[in-house]
Order: sequence, then C-alpha cells, then structure tokens
Amino acid sequence: MRLILTAAALATIPLAAIAQDDPIRNTIEARQGFYKMLAINMGTLAGMAKGDIEYDETGASLAAANIEALAGYDLPSLFLEGSASGEVDGTAALPDIWEDMDDFRAKFDGLREAAAGASTAVTGGAGNVGPVVGKLGGACKACHDDYREKG
Amino acid sequence: MSDGPVKQMGAIDEVRLWDPLLRAFHWLLVLFVVTSWLLGKFGPDQMTLHFWSGYVVAGLLIFRLVWGFVGPPPARFSHFIRGPGAIAGYMRGMFLRQPSYWPGHNPLGALSVIAMLAALAAQITTGLISDPDDYINVGPLASYVSSATRSKAVGWHGLGSTLILLLVLIHVAVILFYRFWKHENLVKPMITGKKLIRRR
Repeated sequence: MRLILTAAALATIPLAAIAQDDPIRNTIEARQGFYKMLAINMGTLAGMAKGDIEYDETGASLAAANIEALAGYDLPSLFLEGSASGEVDGTAALPDIWEDMDDFRAKFDGLREAAAGASTAVTGGAGNVGPVVGKLGGACKACHDDYREKG
Repeated sequence: MSDGPVKQMGAIDEVRLWDPLLRAFHWLLVLFVVTSWLLGKFGPDQMTLHFWSGYVVAGLLIFRLVWGFVGPPPARFSHFIRGPGAIAGYMRGMFLRQPSYWPGHNPLGALSVIAMLAALAAQITTGLISDPDDYINVGPLASYVSSATRSKAVGWHGLGSTLILLLVLIHVAVILFYRFWKHENLVKPMITGKKLIRRR
C-alpha cells in the first residue's frame, strides 16, 4: 500500500513540473494576476468615489498611478493562441478576442487612454475620483461586453 | 363552459373593460421597458439611467402584482388565469376571421401576460444582483449574493433581454393578427378602456 502511495506521489511530480512550464497555463495565470491588481486599485478608487472608503489624496493618487502603470503593460501579448475559454478551463476570455485581435487591442488602448493622467486627476478632493472611475469603468465595460464570458 | 367558438350567442356591447390605472400601467410599462432595453444595449457606459428606468419597471410590476389581487375583475389574475381546457377551447376558435369579443385577457393571452410579467421580474432580479466587474454598473444588491452568482447574473441579464424582446415581438405580432385577421382592434381598448364584448 505504502509502495503504491509513494509511486502515486512520485508520479505527480513530473505532472506538476509540466504544469508550471505550460505556457498556456502561465499566460492565463499572468493575465488573471494582472486583473487582480487592477481590481484591487479600482476597488480603492471606486470605494473612495462612493464614500465607502475615506478619501485620502496620497492613497487615491497611488492607486491611480498603479492603474496607469498596469495600463502601460502590453496585456494583449498575454492572450496566446489556444488560451481561450472553450479551449482550456479556468478562463473567461472569449474566442472572439482572437477573431479580432486588433479590436481587442483597441479596447485595451481604451483603458490606457482612460488611465492617462489619472494619478493627478484624482487629487484635490473626493469629488475628483468619481469621473476618473467613470472613465476607467467605461473602458472595463467596453471590453467585458464583447470579450468576457458572462458567468 | 361558454369558452368555445360554437356558442356565440349573446348581444355585443361596448363596456368599460380596462380601468384607468391598468391602462396607465400598461403604457408606462411600454415606455420604460423600451427605454430600459435601449439604454441597456446602446446607452452610455455609465448606466445610471438604465438603472433608474429599471427601478421604475420594478415599481410598475409591484403595482401590477397588487392590482392582480385587489383591482377590478378584468385586472385580476383569478379572472384570467385559466386551465388547459379553457385554453384549448379558446384556441379552437382563434383563427376564425371574426373578433373574439373577449371580456379581458383571453385564456391563451393570459399565458403571454404571465410570461411577460415573470420575465420582467426575473430581469429585474438579475439586474439588481449583477456585477459586470466594471466598478460603475454594479447592481445595488450584488453584494448580497456570492461572487459566482453576481458574475453569472450578468449573463442571465443578457439572455433575459433577448427573451423579453421575443415576448414583446410575439405580443405585437398577435395584436396585429387580431387587427388584420380577426378584425379586432385591441390597442384602442387599452387607450380608451372601452371594448366590444359579447355578453355571456
């Protein structure tokens, strides 16, 4: 019995190694990490805009600067062929992305444009955060509407 | 039962069928469902107006639910929700090229009424709990459900919009069928409240 268990345990090791080297899995994890970081900073700004989080200028500016930095990353390069929903599990990236990669890139450029100057735009009072969140949220929505699997 | 097309004796009278509140409900529902639908599909990214339009629809549905129990007889669910027998009986005479002179929602049309009300109620529910992860259009009740549910609700809300479009198209098509095939104008009674019905 112990022998079987040991063999089974050993047998999983190369599988785990393969999983780590799988470029498709890596690319999905990377972009989901990207969205997670985006979400954390968006959560801060949206919270301040709604008054759920107390406004502080440094915190707002930092969150917005993080979003600017994230928007500077070439996210579309993480959307490798073969990493769509339906081809692999654990992603909401619709195959439509690869049907029109130029439009997908344009949508991401939309986020970059919305984020430009955000770190200064959110300074000077809680009232300045809402419009920035509105612009950024609009960029989120534009892409989610077309390219994100619902549910 | 006198549901069949065979028994068509009885005088035809113009009666006050639809009460003013029911008519107001109907046309406000038309206005706000169309507005909500168009704002949902083509409106601004910041969907504040869509939200408010949806809240109005929710209020109208609550009114209709109450009116279905305490309103005048033609508005009451107990008056127009009928069994399969009555529905089959009504359908037998449906394609006759003559007006139905029906005093209210007919047994088949009642199914359509219930389907539209239920679809709208479901649409409001999924809208209230939707979180499309855009930080600007999060449903006010999204935080009360699991993250999987509020994410799925966005998809259901999208499917719901298609279902509502279909039900509305069927509704309008049937109105046209009554107008041009059965020579019965069902729109005017919903405006004036008065309809020709056969006494039974």
